[in-house]
Amino acid sequence: MRELTHCNDIPVPDPKPDRIYSAQLLDREMQFVGLKRLLGAADYSKAGDRHAGLAAEAEDIREAARSALSDLTLEHIYEHPLTDDRGRVDSVMRVNYDIDLDVFSPIASLTLGDLKDRLLSAPGNEVERIGRGLTGVMAAALAKLCDVHELIFIARKCSRPTQARTLLGAPGTLSSRLQPNHPTDDPQGIACLCYWGLSLASGDALLGVNPAIDTVENVESLLKLLDSVRRRTGAPSQICVLAHIKTQLACLDRGAPVEVLFQSLAGTEETNLAEFDISVDLLDHGYRTMAERGALHRVARQFMYFETGQGSEFTYGRHHGIDMTTTEALCYGLARRYDPFMVNNVTGFIGPETHRDSFEMMLANLQDHFMGKLLGLPMGMAPCYTLHSQTILEGQQIATQLLTAAGANYFMDVCLNTDRMLAYFDTSAHDVQTLRELYRRTPAPEYLEWAIGRGILQKEADGSVRRGPQWGNPEQFCDSPEEFAELARRTPALYGRETAGPRPANSVMRRVKFNQGAARAAIHSELRIDDLQRLANFRVLETTAKDKEAHLNSPEAGARLSPASLARLSPEAKQVQIVVSDGLSAEALHHNLPDLLPTLVDGLTSRNISQGQPIVVRYGRVKLAEQIADTLECDLVVFLVGERPGGDALASRSLSAYLVYRLTGAALAEAARFSGNSRAKWEQTVISNIYSGGLPPVEAGAVILEKVLQILAHKAAGNRLLALLKSSTP
Amino acid sequence: MTSVRLVGLDFGTTTSRCVAATARLSKNAVTGRQELSDIREVFRSPIVLTPFGQDRLDLRRLEEHLDDWLSAAAADTQEIFGGGALVTGLAAQQPNSSALVELIRSRVKDLLVATAGDPCLEAWLAFQANAGSISRARPDRPDRWVINLDIGGGTTNIAVGRSGEVLRTGSLFVGARHIEVEPGTYRIVKLSRYARAMLDDLAIAVGPGDRLTSPQLDAILDWQMELLESALAGDRAVFEKPVARLHEQVAFHPPSELQNPIVCLSGGVGELVYKMLRSELPPSTTQFGDLGIDLAARIAKSRWKARPTEAAPLDAGRATVYGLLLYATQVSGSTVYLADSAVLPMRDVPILGRITDDSTDAEIQDILQLASRSAVGGCVVVSLAQSDGQTVRTLGERIGSTLRSAEIPAATRLVLLVRENVGKALGGYLSQWGSVPHKLVVLDEIEPLDARFVQIGALRDQVVPISFYGMN
Repeated sequence: MRELTHCNDIPVPDPKPDRIYSAQLLDREMQFVGLKRLLGAADYSKAGDRHAGLAAEAEDIREAARSALSDLTLEHIYEHPLTDDRGRVDSVMRVNYDIDLDVFSPIASLTLGDLKDRLLSAPGNEVERIGRGLTGVMAAALAKLCDVHELIFIARKCSRPTQARTLLGAPGTLSSRLQPNHPTDDPQGIACLCYWGLSLASGDALLGVNPAIDTVENVESLLKLLDSVRRRTGAPSQICVLAHIKTQLACLDRGAPVEVLFQSLAGTEETNLAEFDISVDLLDHGYRTMAERGALHRVARQFMYFETGQGSEFTYGRHHGIDMTTTEALCYGLARRYDPFMVNNVTGFIGPETHRDSFEMMLANLQDHFMGKLLGLPMGMAPCYTLHSQTILEGQQIATQLLTAAGANYFMDVCLNTDRMLAYFDTSAHDVQTLRELYRRTPAPEYLEWAIGRGILQKEADGSVRRGPQWGNPEQFCDSPEEFAELARRTPALYGRETAGPRPANSVMRRVKFNQGAARAAIHSELRIDDLQRLANFRVLETTAKDKEAHLNSPEAGARLSPASLARLSPEAKQVQIVVSDGLSAEALHHNLPDLLPTLVDGLTSRNISQGQPIVVRYGRVKLAEQIADTLECDLVVFLVGERPGGDALASRSLSAYLVYRLTGAALAEAARFSGNSRAKWEQTVISNIYSGGLPPVEAGAVILEKVLQILAHKAAGNRLLALLKSSTP
Repeated sequence: MTSVRLVGLDFGTTTSRCVAATARLSKNAVTGRQELSDIREVFRSPIVLTPFGQDRLDLRRLEEHLDDWLSAAAADTQEIFGGGALVTGLAAQQPNSSALVELIRSRVKDLLVATAGDPCLEAWLAFQANAGSISRARPDRPDRWVINLDIGGGTTNIAVGRSGEVLRTGSLFVGARHIEVEPGTYRIVKLSRYARAMLDDLAIAVGPGDRLTSPQLDAILDWQMELLESALAGDRAVFEKPVARLHEQVAFHPPSELQNPIVCLSGGVGELVYKMLRSELPPSTTQFGDLGIDLAARIAKSRWKARPTEAAPLDAGRATVYGLLLYATQVSGSTVYLADSAVLPMRDVPILGRITDDSTDAEIQDILQLASRSAVGGCVVVSLAQSDGQTVRTLGERIGSTLRSAEIPAATRLVLLVRENVGKALGGYLSQWGSVPHKLVVLDEIEPLDARFVQIGALRDQVVPISFYGMN
């Protein structure tokens, strides 16, 4: 076990006032106030940095910043720790200074430009050694100076193998993390995806589920399920349920097989505390506990697993003026403290507010891989996307080609690229096998032996490893084909098991791509106001999002009414106000409202509930409901909005109903007492998955009505309503 | 996701048994329906010989078994969510079989369906437990027929289906134990009335104390096989004879399009057949004191191409009890309409008929009046041509209007079952959004079976368990 230096014992220079950095470009002198601004301007332009006002506005400004950055010494970076909004060095930054000073001191006088050149010419072991003397900010600064070839060339020199049951990241290997996520944590569905993935030679890095429900009972049950799958198949790998670290430690206390401890990290202390509910002390505790009594503590040299990705700090508004690449590098400086078995980078997961398109996602992934490897981390990569960004499958595939060239330890295996639970798109087992065959890579050695023994893989005469006769046959792990068919019955988005070479067969890919295409079309569809007016006499309002592009790229824009629309509203004091908005799928409104709205209105009218004239708002987000409730002074807004489409064509028409209750009088005090939040002004109950394949719209109308009546009767919504209903049930 | 407990109890001609399991109530992410999943067996009783007294069931010993099993199956019977208890085969033919049902009901109250002599339900359950996964495995092959023969001590229950749906059932009094013998010999101990008739038909003059000769045994097995094969082939000529008709508990009419079915076997005899097909050492002559081993050997050599047992998810010998455990209870959708949850549970509710979009007002009125005359209330299956808002609204309002115009008493307990997920909306329109006083229940996402009764459990985590019995 690595000795952990207490955070406060790590030497960090005192923060200093911002200085002005300048660079001469032809006859212009460009200035950047403070290191944060300089780092932001020196980076490739990405949506999150643009929204944060950190990205350079033009290419010449960016190059000027890079010139200035190139000339800074490592010592200068060291002496200028980046601070939070209160001018404080936070715990994440402090941990980043836990470097090998014996390595750092001799190179402190090098400029970043010099260091980049040295890394390009140095052998691999020297690059690895230098990495131990660098902070996250230094790695980020280097990343901003590197072009694509350099990001790949330097990273490729670093080998970061780690050992649990399998040896991950050894030269010549390419592993995969099997992610059998299921929207309801259905054990049969998860087993189905595990068997299929293992039959495709995936999962040598990990069998890891993101739980839909983060409770100790559920996570323990999932751990036992994965353990049983591992034992049944005999696959040499390790298991993990990617719940919160506290949940996993509680499972460990109950004797569950916690083999690898997972946690998502952010690059600022404030994000970690406020959003992820973690601290350095908690991570230290988790690391020590796993070293003492983790399920693999006698077997594994490493047992921690972290997930990161550019942009979470920005999305939560807790980035302190630090750009996305740098906050990402700070995550790595924190992860390095725990000598992790795996680090998984999921840049692209958040959406267009951080990475607008394939190009931004690709570059960010190469930067992340470079920084992580340089800082000594076993980087697995998950170049991924959501359908409301402009990133596409082919952009993701180009990223995997480049990252394989750069030496990524592993990619994800999300069955047919479609995550059934998280509604995003990642790499697949087919992708990993394709890359292995293209680049002559193999799985981890222990796993390879198992896969060859089962006929999943086979060794060719030239020493390469290819698909064997059992590749892609999940039934081999079941007692009968019928058993697998039963598992498949509970697993959505299984578009077919046919293959062509290492790829899914054309018929399968056509279904995958069609479903994505239909879902993307739903996101970009526009509301047809005239059609809606035939259903009800809507008031038509606008948000501050001026067009679809602004709406998709900036969640804030759709959260407020435009000044003109706001001016049209005044207090009406009705009980219920129905508001409909496209959100992320206008089609969801057009397909559901014709059945839903009449049922809801019939019920409200029959029960003598007063209603305001219904409202339709283009480019709206859920937060808008609060502003409308306050302005109209109604008791409750029923906000019907299109959900973010996943990878299923039908589900791209899925609608949610947010019942936003405006707290007044005694309810305000009750809500504050219940939640412990004295600033809470609204409570919210959500009914989701409304579409023909989920909760049918006519039934949804009746379900919403029932909830409305309960909310009005109990003057409460959300968890407080549930508690009141529970207490009133005999 | 709620964890629930299921219990299956099977009191058969030869043996009786109990199985209990825990399961999760969860939504199938593919179909969107509520289902029982992650079923884990937590108790399996030893298989006991069904205790008989003098020409009747030995209720005292059965009571001991029942109490032992239930206490092992569930710490508190109130935990039980579903499953079922069946008295089957020749046990159901005993004069005191209804007393056994009452005994079971006294223990499990309204938590489990309990019934005797329901051969089509037995056939349906055995199919689902033994052949259901095979039948469902290829939804792309609707022409793929599966027949399940559940051959026990007293009866052979036949079910044929495709894509997991049972389409026809039947039952014959053909089984292992119509002729009881001393174990290890062919000396007759006891004959059922069916065996007596068969022997008369074969002109074999034997009775208790006599030893069957080899030619006599062959003749008996030939006779039973002919009856089975005639039933499967739909050859009704054989059943013109009174003795064959006597053996036919429920006539089996194979579908005309039935071709090359996959044959699955279950029940004690079925399990023996599989052992023989796997070349396992057969039990010694009449080890179980009946002709089951001989019947199994004859079936193993028959022209049927029985599916290997390893394809079956559960052991074939326990198909009925697993069928009870896993398939006797359906789970409603999670958005049911319940005017008053106190009206549940309901037991022995007759299924009175079906209301469709095309039903006339008079037809709707007739069914509602039938319900009003039933002390336990009435159940009606609602079939919708479409599940759009207009259809639901129109039919709901029509039924509601008839309810009021026909002056159906408010105390009438009316249960509507509907396949589509529209229970709350249909109930809302029918009740004018809760303004009529009737004790209305609308359960949705239910696959109505061709049965005469339903038992409906209490609301649990937004869903309601329901069991069909008295199957036609």
